[in-house]
Amino acid sequence: MGYKLGQYTPGSSVIHRLDPRVKIVAIMLLSITVLRADAFIAIAITILIAGITFIARLSPSHLLRAVKPLAIFFVLIFLMHLFFTPGAPIPLPLATYEGLYRGVLLTWRFVFLILSAAILTMTTTPSELMSGIERLLRPLRPLGISSHDAAVMVSMVLRFVPTLLQELDQIREAQMARGADFKAGNLLARMKRISSLVIPLVRNSILRAEELAIGMEGRGYHRGPRTYMRELRMTPSDYTILVVLMILTGLGVYRW
Amino acid sequence: MIKVENLVHRYDGDDVPVLRGINLEIKEGEYVAIIGPIGCGKTTLIKHLNALLAPTEGNVWVDGMNTRDTSIVGEIRRRVGMVFQNPDNQIIGMTVEEDVAFGPGNLRLPPREIRQRVTEALQAVGMGSYAQRHPHTLSGGEKRLVTLADILAMNPSYIALDEPTSSLDRATREVVLSILRRLNGQGIAMIHVTHNMDEITSADRIMVMGDGRIVLSGTPEEVFSGV
Repeated sequence: MGYKLGQYTPGSSVIHRLDPRVKIVAIMLLSITVLRADAFIAIAITILIAGITFIARLSPSHLLRAVKPLAIFFVLIFLMHLFFTPGAPIPLPLATYEGLYRGVLLTWRFVFLILSAAILTMTTTPSELMSGIERLLRPLRPLGISSHDAAVMVSMVLRFVPTLLQELDQIREAQMARGADFKAGNLLARMKRISSLVIPLVRNSILRAEELAIGMEGRGYHRGPRTYMRELRMTPSDYTILVVLMILTGLGVYRW
Repeated sequence: MIKVENLVHRYDGDDVPVLRGINLEIKEGEYVAIIGPIGCGKTTLIKHLNALLAPTEGNVWVDGMNTRDTSIVGEIRRRVGMVFQNPDNQIIGMTVEEDVAFGPGNLRLPPREIRQRVTEALQAVGMGSYAQRHPHTLSGGEKRLVTLADILAMNPSYIALDEPTSSLDRATREVVLSILRRLNGQGIAMIHVTHNMDEITSADRIMVMGDGRIVLSGTPEEVFSGV
């Protein structure tokens, strides 16, 4: 099994050990700052992210791979701004200095939004992430949002994605064994053929959901409060980092 | 003790009942095998033992609690654990230990006790070193053992197993069966549903089902000499 996008990379660094709630809040704060950043802040954040990557001992090439699927999108953003921003011309047809600046900054913003999310998922196990989200959603209970139900739902989605993919493979192989060719024909023909995969998959999933529900009831599942094997506990260093981040965000966003 | 009295079950929309008057008793610590051809109502019967189904007629009591009483269904299900055929449809945690922790979490036990139960349950089925594994990386037999640990973590008095060894190879089957016998030795009653004769020779009692009824019941010697 190859390396998957944003996949958890085991480690024992400070970043790995941070309370997941701190990391989630940090990503939110960082995103706000990134979206409002100017050149100076952008450089500061670039150094910060590079530092975090180093401390967490993440492989920069793995991290950058998270950006790859959207590379074309970034190039487009950059080119559009480069050529369509009015301002002082540079020695390139239609391009302007203002366009260059805006193009670079905007592309940088998107890239760093993705990178910071990738750092979160690479240093936090899905389970930790789940309990982090669950705890952060708890105050929303008066609004009728049950953090426990949400946590069960999300963790089941994460649990069943690999199973569904395996099943999809099996269905496809079974059909290929009977002569189906999923690569032949034009796009439309191929898309039509995909429906022959999706229908059995959906059918299986519905049947599975029923059994799953019975199994969960059998293990005492009920909506509403439950307890967890590990309750998150904020350490003094978690609080410190959170406060520092808040101050930095405040400074970054309201500098002017 | 589990007591089933004149149990009749008819699924909604069906004319013919699946169970047609079942009477049986299962004592604490007993190893009972229920055997019979596919479609004879074995699975339907054990679903009644932990109140997943309500009787059309008759009654089912678990330690004196009637399964028709919806207010105590939670306690009935805790006492009678149920392991279904397909482990893929029972494992819901992202990791093995989280999956085992699901049941105790539903009982709202404190984290420390959940951790203890998870460790004990995984050790009891020989899966202690698999705690952090992702379910989709496990083999069929390992998944089966995880579902057994899931139930053990609930501290049940009875465990009903629906074909616990189907689609397992011979070696893995032996592992599962020996674990079941050991747990039974520790006082948990086993209700083992199968259509495989050679698995149940060591059961305390065998009930042979056919067409929604129990047609034969007794010790393995009695049953096999009667066949």
